[in-house]
Amino acid sequence: MKYPRGGYALPGTTLAFKTGTWRVQKPVHYHYAAPCHHACPAGEDAQAYLARVEEGDFRAAWETIVQANPMPCVTGRVCLHPCEHACNRGQFDESIAIHSVERYLGDMAVKEGWAYPVQPVPANAPRVAVIGAGPAGMSNAYHLIRAGYNVTLFDAFPLAGGTLRTGIPNYRLPDEALDAELDRIFALGIEFKPHHQLGREISLSELKEQYAAVFLAPGAMQGRNWSVGDVVPQDLHQGLDLIKQWMTVGEVPSFQSAAVVGGGNTAIDVARILKRSGTPEVHIITHNGLPGPNAIPGDVMRAIPREVEHAQQEGVQIHEHRGIRRLILRGGRVTGVEMVHMKKMPDETGRLRRVAFEGTETVLHVDQVIPAIGQVVEGEGMERLLGQADWLPVDDLFKVPGQENVWSGGDACSTGQGTVAGAIGDGRRAAEDMVAWLRGWERPELGERRIVEYAQLNLTYFNPKERAHEPILPVAERTGAREVVSGLERNQVMQESHRCFSCGNCMSCDNCWTLCPDSAVLKNPDAAREIDRYVFDYDYCKGCGLCAAECPVGFIDMVEDN
Amino acid sequence: MNNETTKTVSIEELRRKQPRFQGITSGHRACLGCGEALAARLVTEAAGPDVMIANATGCLEIFTTPWPESSWRVPWMHSLFENAGAIAAGMESAMKAQGKTTKVLSFAGDGGTFDIGFQALSGMMERGHNVLYVCYDNEAYMNTGIQRSSSTPHAARTTTSPPGRERMGKRHLKKDIVSIVAAHHIPYAATTSVAYPVDLRRKVRRAMEIEGPTFIQIHSPCPLGWGHDGAETLDVARMAVECGLYPVIELERGKLTGLLPIREPRPVSDYLKVQQRFRHLFQDHHKAREELEHLQALADYNIETFQLSGHGADDQDTSGLNEARRGGVRSA
Repeated sequence: MKYPRGGYALPGTTLAFKTGTWRVQKPVHYHYAAPCHHACPAGEDAQAYLARVEEGDFRAAWETIVQANPMPCVTGRVCLHPCEHACNRGQFDESIAIHSVERYLGDMAVKEGWAYPVQPVPANAPRVAVIGAGPAGMSNAYHLIRAGYNVTLFDAFPLAGGTLRTGIPNYRLPDEALDAELDRIFALGIEFKPHHQLGREISLSELKEQYAAVFLAPGAMQGRNWSVGDVVPQDLHQGLDLIKQWMTVGEVPSFQSAAVVGGGNTAIDVARILKRSGTPEVHIITHNGLPGPNAIPGDVMRAIPREVEHAQQEGVQIHEHRGIRRLILRGGRVTGVEMVHMKKMPDETGRLRRVAFEGTETVLHVDQVIPAIGQVVEGEGMERLLGQADWLPVDDLFKVPGQENVWSGGDACSTGQGTVAGAIGDGRRAAEDMVAWLRGWERPELGERRIVEYAQLNLTYFNPKERAHEPILPVAERTGAREVVSGLERNQVMQESHRCFSCGNCMSCDNCWTLCPDSAVLKNPDAAREIDRYVFDYDYCKGCGLCAAECPVGFIDMVEDN
Repeated sequence: MNNETTKTVSIEELRRKQPRFQGITSGHRACLGCGEALAARLVTEAAGPDVMIANATGCLEIFTTPWPESSWRVPWMHSLFENAGAIAAGMESAMKAQGKTTKVLSFAGDGGTFDIGFQALSGMMERGHNVLYVCYDNEAYMNTGIQRSSSTPHAARTTTSPPGRERMGKRHLKKDIVSIVAAHHIPYAATTSVAYPVDLRRKVRRAMEIEGPTFIQIHSPCPLGWGHDGAETLDVARMAVECGLYPVIELERGKLTGLLPIREPRPVSDYLKVQQRFRHLFQDHHKAREELEHLQALADYNIETFQLSGHGADDQDTSGLNEARRGGVRSA
């Protein structure tokens, strides 16, 4: 090379020297799954839509949700939001109010009349039969239409909604919110056939022949049989039936005092409906403990903690860790129950086992005992598939083993989670496998992305901020179908989006670009996607790891590089 | 790894199109995670292209100009170790004589500022030259092999202040250079740290606007000399500020006019224990315990003297200033 004279050098000439050769490790972008995304049974990526909200693009945020879940209005209200339990921010101050943001976006979409970003299905595309217009069936139908298939949806009831309509009281999920979501899904062009009960109007064998594929999501619509020592009161009401009655008639019979047996959402809902219909004294008797910081995992009521709290505010008395020993009957009618203290204790093998403590029996005077101890599949028209089992057997991808073209999901299937979000997720994942089968593709893989841990975030770059809480109706005003919890305001939703740590995904904060001592991180402001906005220049990157250490969201990994 | 960053635009083109002024390019020979390289880049970025630099001998000069190459993209001159101030003064006079407004910067390390170049710096200040003097303070002579300087903090190990039976590292205290410089009654003297780029850039821009001698001291960790991982440079720098050992302040005409409040002061041991140069303070020895307390007392003294304790959450304090925001918008 030609050397300049004397102690003189041309500007910027060290670019000729590639310091990247010094490197033994290199930074790479890795998009870890945010814990909220991983925890969502419906498969929503809350991190992704919170980012869109933060950018002020509410429509894009909503479209991000409906890639996975067509019903954010519903889940924003009734889901027990495992996303918020998983949220990394929960370890910092308080988790993001994800469900409130979801609800806000869902309600906004309804108000603004946004349509799903879905292409019309060609008329000659294959047609799939979906049984049950509950969350699983609706989700399955929606995802099949997104993939370009025609859908015929059957339901035994006159209206769609399944459990959403008959199993969740309207003070938690107003009819308007549910109808708005269902109407929008129907507007995609689903052929809906109400009053079609499997085993009566339609048969499974016909469906299998007449349709390209069949998805069974009849739900678990029947209360589990209940008795105490083979004794059943004459005037027994099943909890599930009372909810159904409340939803169709608007009220249920009132009693002097009632005891609801069970610790799930049905038990809580029944108790609250009884209160609303004029039963002055309502008890819940449950084997499990109340939710709270001291609760033992595996021994907590399955109901949503927020709903338990609301029920207690409304005057429902919860007897935790109690079992029913005996019904006290007078002429076939209940006058009381004998309860006993119970607890789950580890036995000699360490497994949790329920133990009743002798000498702790008490009598509770009630004139009605209402079981809400779980639901089972009705089974009509599916006897062959069910055999002796309580649930429809399915594999990992929701296909019924031994069947050519039958899938199942939601509460009716053996892997059912008993939640709305779970059913919506089942419907979506089953649809993926159905589409693959219809096209002759390999079955989808179950591969999971790694989750970003709290320790991978750099918390220096975040500051404590208070979480927004939804307004709750005062107890005195909680009558009839009035919705108890209302939504957040726009500014609160924006505030929540600012609170999001953006776990695992670039938030374009410029840290790596600002802090690289070697100018080896280049910014590409024109890149469409966030994850392309910064580029490592490996010619000069020395592999110090500063960018990875200072990345607030854990988007940069250091990997070996020889 | 899903390295989804393949671009349609080439790296070379992207490098040319960076939306910031690049006073120093890549290819310099600084160590991995060098605080000084980062600080110098941030300073030139904030100062902009209409500058010329007089650079004292030291790491910065060595690693940016391995002859016949140079990383600099602005006029830059290497002086001797002791005369960066004087060279800058001459450059400024020459500009003035030609009627040009190009701002002259003078860069030096702590050795070239606190010790060897102090007389030239003092003279330049006293004569009132329009020069921004930036001291990259890494608290020892790193370039020549980690010898103590008058900036080396008390009790730190260097090759010329080794801990042993008689002493726990450096016997003397860190010189309060910013107060000494401010005592020249100059319009602006400030300290800042690489850990707070927002604060750093703001101070450089402030100094650039001032006609007359200005001084900025930048705390810049040296992974090699301090004995920590290159990836921890900013973490270490941040802790120095948060514990109070390195006060971030502004002095105008010798009077305290600004400071970076500490939201929650942390113990000095957090800062010290991640560095090899202070490792001897954590041995089971009464002298070690005494010196640890001594350093805590020095930090407490700083917090008290400059009133560094914050008053509740503030977006301009040690925690607020660094808050990451989507889209990179900061309060800079």
